Amino acid sequence: MKGKEIIIVFRSTHDAIKAKNLLGKEGIPFEVIPTPKEISAECGISLKIEEPLKSQALQILKSWKVRYRDDLL
Amino acid sequence: MIYFDNAATSFPKPEEVIAAMKDYFFHVGGNTGRSAHQAALKASEIVFETREVLAKLFNISDSSRIVFTKNATEALNFAIYGFLEKGDQVITTSLEHNSVMRPLRHLEIIGKIKLFIVSANDKGIIEPKDFEKILKREKIKLVVVNHASNVTGTIAPIKEIARTAHKYGSTILIDAAQTAGVVNIDVNEDEIDMLAFTGHKSLFGPQGTGGLYIREGIELEPLIRGGTGSNSEEEIQPDFLPDKLESGTPNTIGIAGLGAGVKYVLRKGISEIHQKEAELTECFIKEAEKIERVILYGPRETTKRVAVVSFNITGLTPSEVAYILDQEFGIACRPGLHCAPAAHKTIGTFPQGTVRFSFGYFNNISEIETGIKALHKISRRCV
Repeated sequence: MKGKEIIIVFRSTHDAIKAKNLLGKEGIPFEVIPTPKEISAECGISLKIEEPLKSQALQILKSWKVRYRDDLL
Repeated sequence: MIYFDNAATSFPKPEEVIAAMKDYFFHVGGNTGRSAHQAALKASEIVFETREVLAKLFNISDSSRIVFTKNATEALNFAIYGFLEKGDQVITTSLEHNSVMRPLRHLEIIGKIKLFIVSANDKGIIEPKDFEKILKREKIKLVVVNHASNVTGTIAPIKEIARTAHKYGSTILIDAAQTAGVVNIDVNEDEIDMLAFTGHKSLFGPQGTGGLYIREGIELEPLIRGGTGSNSEEEIQPDFLPDKLESGTPNTIGIAGLGAGVKYVLRKGISEIHQKEAELTECFIKEAEKIERVILYGPRETTKRVAVVSFNITGLTPSEVAYILDQEFGIACRPGLHCAPAAHKTIGTFPQGTVRFSFGYFNNISEIETGIKALHKISRRCV
């Protein structure tokens, strides 16, 4: 069974692509998914990552000033 | 055909520009930011990548501060109308293109702003101290400067002007239509608050591309509102860049081409491109000034200009010269006022205008020689 996963939602498509490139470069596995409607109607693309990688991933996104929705995590 | 009209639009384009656009049509196809499927995602990546390479070119730390527009004119309109409020005072120069002059004159006529014009001398040179004279006595909200004139080719001392403007708490907007890709631009070093550029000239992109850089802390009121693919539950425009100023489906295929053009410029290097164009310009001016009846405008030194040379042949109108060059010699150039009437009043060529040769990275010395021979023949003929 798959472990717990979290979804990172972004303000703009620009930030979603930026995040995707950064996580890819850092070797953090992710899945690009359409933003689930029940979460938010922010930008259309969200990233799904494994829960244990959350703090590492968010650290990278913060240091590159990626605008994600912290309040939705 | 010999193409000497690169200041209007560059031709030819590097092959990779065409390849990137073909690739978008054949293999991508999606609409950026509108879905998460592969085609839309690929389109979003292309747009992101182009923003990133532009940020690299202009030394912009956060590429989300660049918004795409259809050309420099639209970028300048976004900046001017989005920034100025009733009662603001603005300085601009007598070398501006109508892309700056018309929006500013419109705001002046409707009584929204007061406009001050700094005049260049008859060689097209402007002095930072002339800005200071006005900035000292008036509260100026915005200073708008053409980085290089599309008539005289003169490069303006934008860094000194920006410093002077900032000393008095003003904001600076640079029109880089003639310089982006051929003159080094560093938004930090040059203290640029807003930079308007076009994609289809020295950045080698297709027509219909351009952009505006807006320094963090500057808020522009959008001229166009609509769908952005973000905040879709909201009926009000997002307040963050780039979405705030990028409503509606962008020119993704054009942006793909622009990205390839900027990469080409980065690979060749601005100094290499500038050096080559300066050599062509020097070669042309050196020979053209020997031709009887040819009057050259702008500064003599090629270090102070881009590869734009305006001239006239006594006894002929600019249109007659351009027509002969095209019909008899297969040389494409531009006659007339080049959408910059104030610049022609400055150098004394209003209303007839000038003939303009504008060289590009893909021109060569033998084409310049052909151009010179043609001018000799035309000049002898009109005795």
